[in-house]
Formats: sequence, C-alpha cells, structure tokens
Amino acid sequence: MTAPKKRSTAEWTTLLLSSAVLLMVMALIGVQMREPRTPAAPVATATATRHVGSYFHVDVTLNNEGDQTAANVQVTAELVVGGETRSSDQTVDFLAGSERVDLIFVFKEDPAGGELSVTVSGFAAP
Amino acid sequence: MTTVSGATPKLRAPAGRVTARDELVDVVRAVSGGLLFGAPLLYTMEVWWTGTHTDPGQMAALLALLCVPVFVLNKTGGFRVSRDVRVLDAATDTIEAVAIGIVVTAGVLMMVREITSDTPLAVALGKVLYESIPFCLGIGVARHFLQGDRDGADDDSHNRTDGPQASKSAAPKALHPTMADLGATAIGALFISLSIAPTDEVPLITSTMSPAWLLVVAGASLAATYTIVFVAGFSGQSDRHRHEGAFQSPATETIAAYLVALLMAAALLWMFQRGIEPWSDLLSRVIVLGFPAAIGGAAGRLAL
Repeated sequence: MTAPKKRSTAEWTTLLLSSAVLLMVMALIGVQMREPRTPAAPVATATATRHVGSYFHVDVTLNNEGDQTAANVQVTAELVVGGETRSSDQTVDFLAGSERVDLIFVFKEDPAGGELSVTVSGFAAP
Repeated sequence: MTTVSGATPKLRAPAGRVTARDELVDVVRAVSGGLLFGAPLLYTMEVWWTGTHTDPGQMAALLALLCVPVFVLNKTGGFRVSRDVRVLDAATDTIEAVAIGIVVTAGVLMMVREITSDTPLAVALGKVLYESIPFCLGIGVARHFLQGDRDGADDDSHNRTDGPQASKSAAPKALHPTMADLGATAIGALFISLSIAPTDEVPLITSTMSPAWLLVVAGASLAATYTIVFVAGFSGQSDRHRHEGAFQSPATETIAAYLVALLMAAALLWMFQRGIEPWSDLLSRVIVLGFPAAIGGAAGRLAL
C-alpha cells in the first residue's frame, strides 16, 4: 500500500481543467439528445452562374434542413435550352444535419437562355 | 523531490510534490503518446463519416465505454512517471487522459480541416469522439509505450540511468549516431505512413488547404516531433540531449529528421503513384503526409 498522495496545485489545475472539458462535452451531448431530431431534408438551390472560358459554371448550395444525416445524396441539374434537355448529376457521400455543401455544375449552354432546375433526386438513411 | 541529474527526464519519488513543470511534462507525455498511437486513424475518412452520422445517445455510450480501457491502462501504465496504484488516482488520470485526448484530437482535426467553423456541432462532436479513441488509448500506454527498459522495469525502480538503460545507450554509440538517427527516422516514418500514403485521404485533406495552412501543418509537425523526442520524457531522452554529431542538437536534429520524414512521404507517394504535377500539389501532399511521417520518425528515433 502506498501512502495517500497529496495533490499539488498543478495537479489540481490539470484535473479541474480536464473535468471542465469533459463536463462541457457531456453537456453538449446532452443538449443534442434533448433536441428533437427531424428527418434528413436535403435541399439544393442554384445561387449563381459564372461564365468561365467556353463553359458556364452554376453554383449550387446543398443544405440539409433536417437534423439527421443523409447519405448518397443525389443532386440533379437539368437545363432545357431550345427544346433540348441537358442534365448533370452529382453525389454527396454524407450530408449531416444542418450541414451545407457547395457544388458546381458545368454546362456548355448559358443557363440564362433556358430553364434551369436543380433538385435532390434521392438519398439514403445511413 | 527526487530527481536524476541531467537534462530530462525528471523522476519523482512516489510521495513527492509535483511541480508545475513536472505536471506540464506529464501532460506533454500524454499528448505525445496520443499522437503516436492516434495519428494513423486521423487520416481515415470512414472514421470521419462514422462521426458524421452518430446519434447523441451513441456518443454518450462511446464516451462512457472509452473510460473503461483508459482506466485499466492507467492502473497498469498511464502517462505519469509514477504508476497509479490507488483507484482514485487512476480515476482522476482517466478524466485527464480522456479530456487531453478530446482536446488534442479536436486540434488535429481542425488542423487537417476536418472541423471548420462551418461544421455542425453534432458532426464535430461525433468526429472528435471517434477519433479520440486511439488518442486516449495511446495516452493510457504513453509511459509503457516508449518509456522504461524492455524488461518492464519502470521509473519507480529508479534504475533508468544504469543497467538496461546504459546498455541500450551503449549500442547506438557503436554506429555513427547521425546515420543511426536518420535511419531510425526513415524506418519510423515508413512504418506509420506506409498505410496512409496509398489512400484517398491525403489528396482529400490537401485539397482543403491553402499555402498558409500548409505552413501551419509543417510547423505542427516540427513541434510534435520535437516534443515527442526532447520534452515528453520518453526513453533515451537524456541520452539524446547529450548526443554529439553533425545533426545532434535538438533543433537541428528535429529539422533534419523532418526533412527525412518528408523524403519518405515523397517516396511513398511516388511508389503508390499518388504524386501528381504540378510540383506545388505534390509538395502539398508531401507536407500533409509528412505529419504522420514525422510522428512515426520521432517514434523510430526513440524506439530503435
């Protein structure tokens, strides 16, 4: 048996700071547990179009408005110009609740001269 | 307080008073042990993803379960120079080990841009908790990991400056110390970064980094390797402070070893055909892979 060791100020400081860190982490987890978790709701929105070289870049923001994570989020951009439809797809592996991801779609035609739609065509629950 | 003459490490009597410097060295040893053990998992995107979709209940369970092996490790090893005997000491060290593991993990994840100001809180928490598992286990074995002789004797036996330690330090003297150090760095860097170099994580992390941020990574690599070798009080530290040779001062040895780690990172990227032109992209990947390589190199210098 060893004699009880008296803690120094330095040791108390480390222990208090460590306890504060753990309490903060536990409090944050507790807050997350209390909040209602709405289902994943990814929404894609075209925000801007830029002319880059001979192509047009369409900036798209993908935002999960729900609290749960969405996996394999499929985003489809369709551009109808002169009766012809151009489409492009992108997949985002994981989109956490409230997370935002910026995507860029590339078209040869100017989206301003046609009808552009950006939609989330599907996702999986991880 | 009982100390051994020489630069470091300081040894304390079991009932000795712990000064602020002693405590700081203990914490630095904990951080170093965590980095040595946890660095490879930091570059694993599947762990990031798991953290992304973990619900809070599972996080709480994970945190509670993590404390169990860390407590057991603190009872038998831990990160302090004296072995925890009392349950209360092991319990308080467990609180400290888990907290240190969480803080360091969060810092490194911020460094590799896996946690930014845009990261939702739940995602950041999940990533930190999952990535902190190997960190906390590394802290739990920090003392046994690289400190003490290979027969299992520890500092409490107060025999670090003679016996096995002396014979261990005598062996490298037969070799050219500079070449031995650089060779050990290369092997250690290879050991840690071999499993990381062929993965997609390196280009993925690199793509998020600006030149200024790469300088931060390089600085953190140098700081981590210096700390592990010259501050944390692992085995052979006092010998290393006494070494003589072309690159044997702490600062120059650290820089030379980092350059070797970068060379090993570049060689591995070339071997797995992950190095790309232009040179600026290749350099970025080398610096990103250089972080675990440098940590492995530091371990190599201490262990071999």
